[in-house]
Amino acid sequence: MELNKRYIIDLSQAQSPADIVFELSNIIEKEDAANQKIWLKLGNVTLNQSQLLSINSLISSINSTLSLVESESQQTELAAATLGICTKDVEEELQEEFSQLEAKAPEDEPSLQYVPMTEHLDDSSDSADSAEKTQQEEAESKDAENTVDTTTDDNKETVDEQNSEDDDADKETAPIKTENEPAEVRNQENNETIDEQKESGSLADVDIVFKKPAIDSENESDSSVVFSSENKEQKEEEIQEQLDSIFDSETKLENILSDDKDINEMKNWPLTKEAEDNFEIPEEEMTDEDYEILQMSTQYHKQTVRSGQVIKSNGNVVIIGDCHPGCEIHAAGDITVWGILGGIAHAGCNGNTKARIRALTLNAIQLRIADSYARRPDYIKNIYVEKSNTFTPEEARNINGSIVILKINDK
Amino acid sequence: MTGRVIVITSGKGGVGKTTTSANIGTALAKNGSSVVLIDTDIGLRNLDLLLGLENRIVYTLVDVVEERCKLKQALVKDKKNPNLCLLAAAQTRDKSAVNAEQLKDICEQLQKDFDFVLVDCPAGIEEGFKTAISGASEAIVVTTPEMSAVRDADRIIGLLEANDSIKSYKLLVNRVRPGMIEANDMMSVEDVCDILSCDLIGVIPEDTGIITSTNRGEPIVNDENSMAGKAYLNVARRIQGEEVPFLDINEPTGFAAFIAKVKSFFSGKNKKTDKDE
Repeated sequence: MELNKRYIIDLSQAQSPADIVFELSNIIEKEDAANQKIWLKLGNVTLNQSQLLSINSLISSINSTLSLVESESQQTELAAATLGICTKDVEEELQEEFSQLEAKAPEDEPSLQYVPMTEHLDDSSDSADSAEKTQQEEAESKDAENTVDTTTDDNKETVDEQNSEDDDADKETAPIKTENEPAEVRNQENNETIDEQKESGSLADVDIVFKKPAIDSENESDSSVVFSSENKEQKEEEIQEQLDSIFDSETKLENILSDDKDINEMKNWPLTKEAEDNFEIPEEEMTDEDYEILQMSTQYHKQTVRSGQVIKSNGNVVIIGDCHPGCEIHAAGDITVWGILGGIAHAGCNGNTKARIRALTLNAIQLRIADSYARRPDYIKNIYVEKSNTFTPEEARNINGSIVILKINDK
Repeated sequence: MTGRVIVITSGKGGVGKTTTSANIGTALAKNGSSVVLIDTDIGLRNLDLLLGLENRIVYTLVDVVEERCKLKQALVKDKKNPNLCLLAAAQTRDKSAVNAEQLKDICEQLQKDFDFVLVDCPAGIEEGFKTAISGASEAIVVTTPEMSAVRDADRIIGLLEANDSIKSYKLLVNRVRPGMIEANDMMSVEDVCDILSCDLIGVIPEDTGIITSTNRGEPIVNDENSMAGKAYLNVARRIQGEEVPFLDINEPTGFAAFIAKVKSFFSGKNKKTDKDE
């Protein structure tokens, strides 16, 4: 069984990095430590990234890989996570694997290899037996049933997950964990949404493309970004009449996606300052399109989206971080940026006009909602938005085919 | 009407290919020709920024090649000059998205409608370079008076000569600092021409205004007081067939230099006080 390849090293009693390296160098001389996945159990010793890296290279010198690190020190776990090493509780991980194995092949009893490190072994096995499991933890291990081996492919996900957890208020309640479902948001108040996301199978629905042009090109050919350009011609005059009363000619918007339209006629997106005095948001009832967005799966990214990167989703997208100019975000639902939005954002890219784009600072080069879009006015000179502590969160909406930007507290 | 297709290339990065493309294109359009600029630096596009057209781009060269839009839809008109159009590169793809045949086809189509098709070439001599030169019949090789840039320009000229479609090529020496040439710290323009044995089409002096114009998104040829702007306008006139003497870019020396410095000092100070008031 897979489990035989685990090689758990308990160094929780070690007092300094030097101890750890010393014990490790003893272990790697043993033959049975070669070609294994090594799980490291550390105490409260703090290791930085370079120390972990040297441990990693020590282990890889015997053809083994360091696949899991458990530590009481937050810093060590962070360093491990940035190196792409899984950080989990060894006991819990074992429990999970046991339960999986029992479910799969109960008759096949796997033999675990605990490696005695002087007297530490006793401690660890004791603690394994008395591993306290709260109800919450049990629930979580059930949730993680589809968690197969955490392979290196998932490590990026791991980092994201963990980083976002650092901000999480309830991080102290449970040891840091990783799970394969990116859409799983730990939110105690909002259990219902989590269930919904799980049902809709967010991972399968979503294409994410990062820095992989080859895959990008494949995805683009069958991309879900469909520009639907119906019904606009007829309504256009009507819309323009309405708009004339609201905006001056500079801020008028046009749908330019149909074949015979000239992109040079694209108009600027209106500024909030101009719009807020004259514009009253029409009271709208919730439509099917609104409910559609509410039921979409949501994808979280904790990262800076840089120039040339594309995020595509069949649901909603939330980005915790800045979106630099030159990036593109396409989502069938809403786009929410907890940071500065500087690239191109296309919400409702399957034609849902009720999709919205919101950001702490809205400085997008282009805003597209369904088949309408608008560009950043030329007279906005500041290409670089200063990062400050004060933000004016804004929201872009598609109202009657034109893009309107409103301060979020205007509602 | 059959327009001329000119590729602007250099081999080495950072010598000013894109700046040159933007300024020559704008200058040609100012002189009355119809111009289209093609950015072939896919994945690292900058030409749109220099022209201040970044927010207008909807379709790119890659969209045209992959037939997601018509060629005319992808042409972005300049803010000031209706004679000037830009065909932008995609930022989210790489050089392999367009091949030589496809670009050649696009150049041939654009040739029918425009007097000049300027192709901004990416740095390097790989795929991107080969694609960029495929449609062109003329080339402008940009270099700076540094040994590294001159070596790379020499390599590029060799490749251009080996290419059958390029009928003629001219040299443009960028970022020339007359003061340093005088002090023998920099190769002179004549030296560069000797080493490369190539005809000169322009000499552009180093100008700090280039940096501000890049950040503002407005080509420096629109600034009538700038030396670099004047030099680019002259290059455009030479491309259009006029005989224009080379600009005297030598900085005044000795007493004249002192007077000039004093003048500029006072004029600068006056400007500042004007602003303060």
